[in-house]
Amino acid sequence: MSLTHLHVSTAFSAHYGVSWPEELTGAAAADGATALACTDRDGLYGTVKHLKACMAANLDPVVGVDLAVFDDDGDHRTQLSGRVVVLAHGHNNGAGYRALCRLISDAHARTTGKAGGVVPVAVTREELASRTLDPNTLKPVLTVLIGPDSDVGRSMGGRKYLLPRTLFKRWLEAMPQGTVVAEVVSQLSAPGAPLSTAHAVRMLKLAAEHHVPAVLTNAVRYCEEDGAATADVLDSARTLKSLPELSSAPLLQPTGQGWLKSEKQMVELAKEIIQSAGYGTADLKRLLAQTEALADRCRMDPSSDMGWKQPVVPETTVIGIAGDPLAELTQRCEAGIGRRFPGISGKQEAEMRSRLEHELRIIGNLGFASYFLTVAEVSRMILDMNVRAAARGSGASSLVNFLIDISQVNPLQHDLVFERFLSGDRATLPDIDIDVESAERHNVYRKIFERFGAERVTLMSMQNGYRARGAVRDAGMALGMDDGEIGEIAKQLWRFSARKFREALAEKPELREFAGRVERDFSENQQLDLLVDLTERLDRLPRHISMHPCGVILGDSTLLDRTPVQPSGLGLPMSQFDKHDMDPMGMLKLDVLGVRMQSAMAFAVREVIRIHPSKAEVTSAGSHPSGNDGEGPDYISEDGRIDLNAVPLDDEPTYELIRSTHTLGCFQIESPGQRELVGKMAPRDFNDLIIDISLFRPGPMKSDMVRPFLEHRHGFAPEVYPHPDLKPVLQETHGVTVFHEQILKTFDVMTGCGLAKADEFRRVLGNEALEFKVEEFFRREAKAKGYSPEVVDKVWGTLKSFASFGFCKAHGAAFAVPTYQSAWLKAHHPEAFLAGLWEHDPGMYPKRLLVAEARRLGIPILPLDINRSKAEYRVERVESGEHAGKLGIRLSLKGIFGLSASELKRIVAGQPYDSLADLRARSRLSKPGIKRLAQLGAFDSLHRESGNDANRADLVLHLQNLQSRPTKKGVDIIEGQLALPLGDVELNNLQRGQPAPTMVENVRAELDLMAVDVSEHLMESHRPLLNRLGVTTADKLLGLRNGTEVLVAGVRIATQTPPMRGGRRVVFISIDDGTGCVDSVFFHEAQELAGPLLFGTRLLLIRGTTRRTGPRGISLSASMAWDLSRIETLPFPPPDQNQDSTSSSIDEDQMTFGQAGPLDGIGRNLAITGLGS
Amino acid sequence: MGIFSEGVEVECAPGGQPLNLLWAGRRYTVCAEPVRWFERRQWWAEEKRAPLGAGKGLVDHEIWRVQVKAEDERVPGASQEPLTLDLSRDIGSGRWRLLRIHDALQPKTAPKTA
Repeated sequence: MSLTHLHVSTAFSAHYGVSWPEELTGAAAADGATALACTDRDGLYGTVKHLKACMAANLDPVVGVDLAVFDDDGDHRTQLSGRVVVLAHGHNNGAGYRALCRLISDAHARTTGKAGGVVPVAVTREELASRTLDPNTLKPVLTVLIGPDSDVGRSMGGRKYLLPRTLFKRWLEAMPQGTVVAEVVSQLSAPGAPLSTAHAVRMLKLAAEHHVPAVLTNAVRYCEEDGAATADVLDSARTLKSLPELSSAPLLQPTGQGWLKSEKQMVELAKEIIQSAGYGTADLKRLLAQTEALADRCRMDPSSDMGWKQPVVPETTVIGIAGDPLAELTQRCEAGIGRRFPGISGKQEAEMRSRLEHELRIIGNLGFASYFLTVAEVSRMILDMNVRAAARGSGASSLVNFLIDISQVNPLQHDLVFERFLSGDRATLPDIDIDVESAERHNVYRKIFERFGAERVTLMSMQNGYRARGAVRDAGMALGMDDGEIGEIAKQLWRFSARKFREALAEKPELREFAGRVERDFSENQQLDLLVDLTERLDRLPRHISMHPCGVILGDSTLLDRTPVQPSGLGLPMSQFDKHDMDPMGMLKLDVLGVRMQSAMAFAVREVIRIHPSKAEVTSAGSHPSGNDGEGPDYISEDGRIDLNAVPLDDEPTYELIRSTHTLGCFQIESPGQRELVGKMAPRDFNDLIIDISLFRPGPMKSDMVRPFLEHRHGFAPEVYPHPDLKPVLQETHGVTVFHEQILKTFDVMTGCGLAKADEFRRVLGNEALEFKVEEFFRREAKAKGYSPEVVDKVWGTLKSFASFGFCKAHGAAFAVPTYQSAWLKAHHPEAFLAGLWEHDPGMYPKRLLVAEARRLGIPILPLDINRSKAEYRVERVESGEHAGKLGIRLSLKGIFGLSASELKRIVAGQPYDSLADLRARSRLSKPGIKRLAQLGAFDSLHRESGNDANRADLVLHLQNLQSRPTKKGVDIIEGQLALPLGDVELNNLQRGQPAPTMVENVRAELDLMAVDVSEHLMESHRPLLNRLGVTTADKLLGLRNGTEVLVAGVRIATQTPPMRGGRRVVFISIDDGTGCVDSVFFHEAQELAGPLLFGTRLLLIRGTTRRTGPRGISLSASMAWDLSRIETLPFPPPDQNQDSTSSSIDEDQMTFGQAGPLDGIGRNLAITGLGS
Repeated sequence: MGIFSEGVEVECAPGGQPLNLLWAGRRYTVCAEPVRWFERRQWWAEEKRAPLGAGKGLVDHEIWRVQVKAEDERVPGASQEPLTLDLSRDIGSGRWRLLRIHDALQPKTAPKTA
């Protein structure tokens, strides 16, 4: 006899289940089980993982859900009666699974998908009843388990006799015959308590009374007893109540017995229940047999019931194809040749044609033609929307993709290998990723739904698991610790997994203080020690699902029979499956990724055309070549529109900009590490950019590939090839293996295995179990082809170590296109480009750094102005003052703290305003909103025009005073009536009296309300202090010798801890001092010295020695850091000999420099420094 | 830390149910079928640590309600009333403690010794 667990929550029951599917299946299989259920709460979140784990453990999967049911008598939208388990019947060609999917989608249909929605995930009893029968055969395909958490089970407390019977009968009346069983559970709590044996007995008797089968489960939440404590913490996180609060409610699980008990233990449990009921052996047998009978009915066939590994794509009729999809694809490729290769002939044409035939043959053999047509359809739809789109990833390796406009990269030109993307040896759908403008992404999604029909499309979801910070917060809440204290601790947790918390305490300098408290407070505050343990328990457990940032699932009209969906925050439905579930469930996922840089570039192009509305103006403003006819280049159309994709990839000023390392804002090459690398490498052409991007990966950086590459490139060391045959393969990277494509070709050259096989080999590299087979093959075949043992050894060594550091050249090429385009825009139209960057904030840095970059480039930053500022940043010709005639960037009204989207809309709609009263009347702006705009100087020009000579502080005070008065009903403006042009009486009569705000105060207001320092760089006011300390500015560093010891200071802009060779952590901190960025690196000793300053400070003073990295690059190896805002700790140099004693002078320094800086009292750490707290 | 109650020594049947106990120097025999259940512990207040894999007995402990008779036959008037006791067994350590003594009318909590 075996006993199957039919009610099991996995960790994918967020904030409820504790154990991973593979732990549960492992334990069940070890105990001799033949099947195991997965019944996650509210959905099939863990189902596909369960399926996979069951197949690995040789168990039959049982699939179901634990769902809440609305109270028939209560408010149908909010009141629940309890929860039931619903299991799908198997071996019915998916009828059970289909009904389950639809039922779960029903349960979510009324929710909003937004956090804090009031409608719970639940079904009505009617919905449940209607889904239990297959609509075609009218046979039961679902079984509902009425258990301890149902209305029936919940009514068993006290000594009520009638209520449970009434409720149970209502179930029996409402549900079709044969779809209900009673679920008997005892978690051995105190007699009479929920989940007690006494309650189990009542349920058992109730079932017997009504001749309904009873089944035994253990309502499992954790694999082993140890999980019970984790379940307690999850209950706390779910209910947002501390354990002491939950305990007194009492809302905690009554016991810790909800683990996956062994068959033997379950049978003991059954005996105990039967005995308490006063029943005999026959009844025991019946209970166990009924449980097994239900288990048998619910054994799923992954393949015939759930479509395991069977790819499904939209019906070709949906994309308007009646005939053979391959013929259609071939024809479209033909049509593309004229467009992509105008005038191609001779040998080139022959090569191109043979490549095309090769690709089409493989696509045809795999039967993927309709997949390509589907992707092409989406791609064309996006371009028709006038949205920038670019294929990324290995899809760029395909000529077919290039010809049907999915990709913009010519694979022949960059020598990209098709087999890296798709080969006859691989039957899974390839990934094609499309980057679109981030601002248009949601519109693109809606359009896809529209185009293919809502029954064929859904968004993909992603699981969000606990990481260290969230885990420590929730663990702290469970223990009832003080919020502030937890916040302080969470702030110091920096990118390590929660599971390693205790280890990190011992190692990481920034946690030293906390570690000390754990030790010290051992006796009086045991909570800290528990906090560490509970944090580790939460590590990685799923918290919730959300919309995946780019995945769209496309299927045929049966898609919603194969995945449950729920509303995403966006309103569009989202699958409960994540990316790991796609391939197993045969789902076609398209990655439509919103890329902010694409939006920023589209914005820049629109700004260029707005400011320079003709080809001639654009050509002159951007210093573009005059072209064949002397009227400007072809890629600029008559109205001034730049076709970025048509810009030739050989523009010298663009490469000059890249080599200057002033690449802030450029796609992919703006990070401190990339600025260092482009400085060293000095890219000359597009292929260099591809190599640069491919080298800047954790692998190559970690394995020291970059240094030999640069040495060969700059001719410091001769290029070496393991064998002359490999020279054509490795020449472009000077003998160093960088690309996946080179690995494929190396395999092919030395063994003659063919590229498809070679890609299979590449995928196995690094897999310990299989790699040796590849090695055997390689050595044997290479030897057979006559390569010497030395050559074979050497090449195998490269291939073997390659596993960790290779990059697909097609990826690099696809990435390099927007990299080049952004650098091109920065070189030729910096104002429009920076406006685009500010608007869409695409990069890794806080926006304030890109504002500082404009300042560095001498681009005027035009202040906020109620009549000139719009809802977006705008390039504007400066009319007067020192910058007259130049192009500047006007600040946007968007992104001001406290200004709502509708207020913003009304302000812009009502522009221009002639007075504050006019503004109030027409924009209906709140009083604090008006005051904030005044603080930011938005009324300065209006104020000046009024002729009043009071200052900004006077105006702010006036508005402040108004704020405390009661609001008068605003003046009603009658539509069409013009206000009398009286000028601004209010501004005109403003009282003078306040001292004008200082620069520091203005900058502080800007940082506070916009997180950007506009009027001047925020470090400017610290300049006297920096001079006193003897600080070197960023722009002077390049002139110093290698190894010079310096002090630098600035505001933090980037903090990174990349993985490093040897495993020792290295911390990179970049600061901005107004003249540029200083990139510093903290090795182990410096980290020890800097301790909590590493991640906890905004203004840093750093001592270090210069490291010259290339002709244009210099960085700093830090030895010590200080918090610049803690004056008393700073290393003031001793005063001159003739002056007083040191101590009094330091006091003086503290007096002089101790005043508040612009950042004082400002929160917004994440927005200002890029490091959140 | 822990529950402050009296320790007792218990002899069990192979299935785990108590048979005899030694309490305050006297031996008692279990004279009726005992009842067993589990009760929660306030582990977050009672424990210093709860590391992953700490194992059993963190969250609950086993309770046995037993009826016992004193074994001492030499005492005259031997027909003693049976006593009802709640015993707890710590799942981790296996130690037994006396939690409650019930008399005919209402349960008395075992004296707490801090």
